Amino acid sequence: MSDTTATAAPPSDERLAYRGVFQRLFIRPEIGAMIGAVGIWVFFWAVSIPFGTANGASGILDTASILGIMAVAVSVLMVGGEFDLSSGANTGAMGMLVILLSKEAGEFGGAGLTLWVAVPLSLVVALGIGFFNGWMVERTKLPSFIVTLGTFFVLRGAKLGFSKLIVDQIQVGDIRDAHGYDFWYAIFASEWDRTTHQLEARDAIYTVAVLGGIALIVLALYEMQFERRRDAMKSAGMIEFAIGLGVTVAGIVTLHVTDDIAGNVLGAAIIAVGSLVGLHGYATWRFEPIHDRGSLVLAPDVLRLIGIGVGSLVLAYLAAIIWDSDNADNFFFPFTYQGFRATLMMVFGGAGFTVLAVAANRARRDGHLARSAIGLLMGLLTAVVAFVVRAQSESVKFRAEAFSVLLAIALMIVVWAVLGSLFEERIRTNARADKLGGRLIAGGLVMIAIGMFFKLMFTIQAEIDADIAPAKFSMRNFWFIVFTVVMVWVLGNTRFGSWTFAVGGNKEAARQVGVPAARTKTQLFMLVSGAAWLVGMLLAFRLNTIQANTGNGLEFDYIIAAVVGGTLLTGGYGTALGGAIGALIVAMGTLGIPFARWNSDWRFLFLGVILLLAVVANRSIRTRAESLRR
Amino acid sequence: MAESHLLELDDISKYYGNIIALKGVSTSVNAGEVTCVLGDNGAGKSTFIKTLAGVHQQSEGTIRMNGEEVTFDSPRDALDHGIATVYQDLAMVPLMSVWRNFFLGAEPTKGFGPFTWIDKAKAKQIAKDEMAKMGIDIRDTEQPVGTLSGGERQSVAIARAGYFGAKVLILDEPTSALGVKQSGVVLKRIVEARNAGLAVIFITHNPRHAYPVGNRFLILNRGHSMGSFAKHEISIDELTQLMAGGAELQALEHELEAAGTISHDDLTTPD
Repeated sequence: MSDTTATAAPPSDERLAYRGVFQRLFIRPEIGAMIGAVGIWVFFWAVSIPFGTANGASGILDTASILGIMAVAVSVLMVGGEFDLSSGANTGAMGMLVILLSKEAGEFGGAGLTLWVAVPLSLVVALGIGFFNGWMVERTKLPSFIVTLGTFFVLRGAKLGFSKLIVDQIQVGDIRDAHGYDFWYAIFASEWDRTTHQLEARDAIYTVAVLGGIALIVLALYEMQFERRRDAMKSAGMIEFAIGLGVTVAGIVTLHVTDDIAGNVLGAAIIAVGSLVGLHGYATWRFEPIHDRGSLVLAPDVLRLIGIGVGSLVLAYLAAIIWDSDNADNFFFPFTYQGFRATLMMVFGGAGFTVLAVAANRARRDGHLARSAIGLLMGLLTAVVAFVVRAQSESVKFRAEAFSVLLAIALMIVVWAVLGSLFEERIRTNARADKLGGRLIAGGLVMIAIGMFFKLMFTIQAEIDADIAPAKFSMRNFWFIVFTVVMVWVLGNTRFGSWTFAVGGNKEAARQVGVPAARTKTQLFMLVSGAAWLVGMLLAFRLNTIQANTGNGLEFDYIIAAVVGGTLLTGGYGTALGGAIGALIVAMGTLGIPFARWNSDWRFLFLGVILLLAVVANRSIRTRAESLRR
Repeated sequence: MAESHLLELDDISKYYGNIIALKGVSTSVNAGEVTCVLGDNGAGKSTFIKTLAGVHQQSEGTIRMNGEEVTFDSPRDALDHGIATVYQDLAMVPLMSVWRNFFLGAEPTKGFGPFTWIDKAKAKQIAKDEMAKMGIDIRDTEQPVGTLSGGERQSVAIARAGYFGAKVLILDEPTSALGVKQSGVVLKRIVEARNAGLAVIFITHNPRHAYPVGNRFLILNRGHSMGSFAKHEISIDELTQLMAGGAELQALEHELEAAGTISHDDLTTPD
């Protein structure tokens, strides 16, 4: 049949536009949540005093862990296309069950089992509840919303009924007296007290790890952005790179040891020169230089955008100067002065920078120089903000932390702008460079995490002398991290993970190719109730007593965290990591509101707004997920 | 034809209660041949393939594979006998990547005991190679299937069936939702699958797609078989007429021709 061989598949590459490094990074489902988490963190950091301290961080992590274990499990379930409304009540039910099983029969009417039996037995019961949920959903073909709503009421009623029946109270305790308590307490609730662990090298480790991590990420972005040299690598650049690195380190040391404006300016200038030289050397070594840089003439529409952007930034400065106050009791309803100022700065500053970024993007068509000029302007403006904050702010926190962060951002923008006009951007895919970039980013994130770990876990003599608020980290943080890592791996690398995506994305299709859809869904429900068991244990051993209403209503927080984390409400797309980040956001809101001295009733308003934003974002996530490669 | 065929259907009937969906259909399927099943809407094509794919069982008649009588209790059972079905709506998950879809339900794993994980590198490589054999150069097997064109998706499904050792490939209306060029791509895949030694059952209501690639034609109309013909026994015009129950279409055709809407050439094979 030669007549049908004439039509060959056309080469499709030509229809696929090349995507820049930021576009490629931004199609991951959890990116939106990460940006949101950083934005919310910055906001609460600016408006409240405990935020950004080890004490505040331990509180947030504590709340986020309990929420996050469930949010991660619920995210995976939602990827599989189902909901579990009984998950919240289930956590309290499991905590109550383990106490009732282990109580002496004479005292409270409990079963009097050793914890060595009671803990595993409650896990079996939890998995049974999950199995029942899955079996009911599969057998009845009803929406899981309805089925698990039923289970929710059963659990809620059982908790209240049994606690009244057995102990005639609406709470049960104490687990402390049970046999085997010490061992299981160590597993589920032992604590690490930061104030008793002193490590004088902490800040050095922190600084090196975080700066090193940032450097790796910057290099990764360059690897993914620029075209590799077409001829051989130019090793002369390596020497320049090394010199620049040395100068930068010297600048950081200068910045660190000086405390006056002049010294800071000097340090910043040395860092700027050092990093420009260093990255220029790195780029000379590896990337293809540009020969045609274009002209510096800016089009009228670009100039207009620059005007709007700069105007917006001026407003941000004015806000920063006018409402400067370190006094958290100065209320400017509903914010403190700090909060009001931070809000205005974030709104005007964010708008200004967005407009400038749009202008830079438009200027690209006029040539590399035009775009770089706008980038340079953005970087210099950021540096000005940094020094305004440094000189004007009465708040020590602003003066030290905001100054260095803003300065670092200014520096990155300047260097990016300068190199953007000197080296060629990549316009086609390069799998090897992307792989290297991905590894560098992963390495950078690990280094930053290590730095944060040391900063959070250890104290130094100066802090002990200053008598700062103590911070405690408990096993629940550990289990949260372990559970998240395991679920990320399971979802991405195992058959069960693949099948979860399949049954959530297109159940009929999955079944047709031989995926055991009913079994996979049942296992997903069992996963969620297993997580509820873990949270129940964490609660029981921490609190010693469990209320009959513990966990009721929290199932919506889990779903909110999952959706905020980029999981589709319709199933088939999402990540476990997104659920964990979503839990951090919800926890930051839950604690940040009282930290900022607002009434904690505002929490629900916060959750509602966050959920609405996330649901709107959800739609675009779906469109992007369907149209772009991951 | 005394020798045993790869798949032989003898007097297959299917009733849903008192509704006769299929009555007395017989045909044979050979390796390296394309058997086209043609029929208008409601002719019983879906019932026919669902019987072959094991979705439901025939009420009467026998199915023989290599001369031995078989019954397919479930889709899995049919699959185990080497009968793979590519449905019209495609058994694919649009949000999942090409390689995950390719291996869905049969992922190659590494590790041991409870700690097994998908051998991603191997799966991606095989998916890429198998697609290349079909003449499709996949840019990146990480691409979600939803980004592929309709023809490419059909090709992934066909490549998958071939890789997993299908002997009989059933294609349910693979060209019905496609444009002219994409249909051409899919027809080319059908020929390639046939040349690779598979027996292909190609279900369509478009004789112009069926005739160029088919070796044998089974025509259904209102649940009844209008006959099973080898290619040399039938012309495309006869095929078209039989599909619509003969006389009715002929009358319509005359009317249209009289009105000058179509010429006779419109109904012949394009080159």
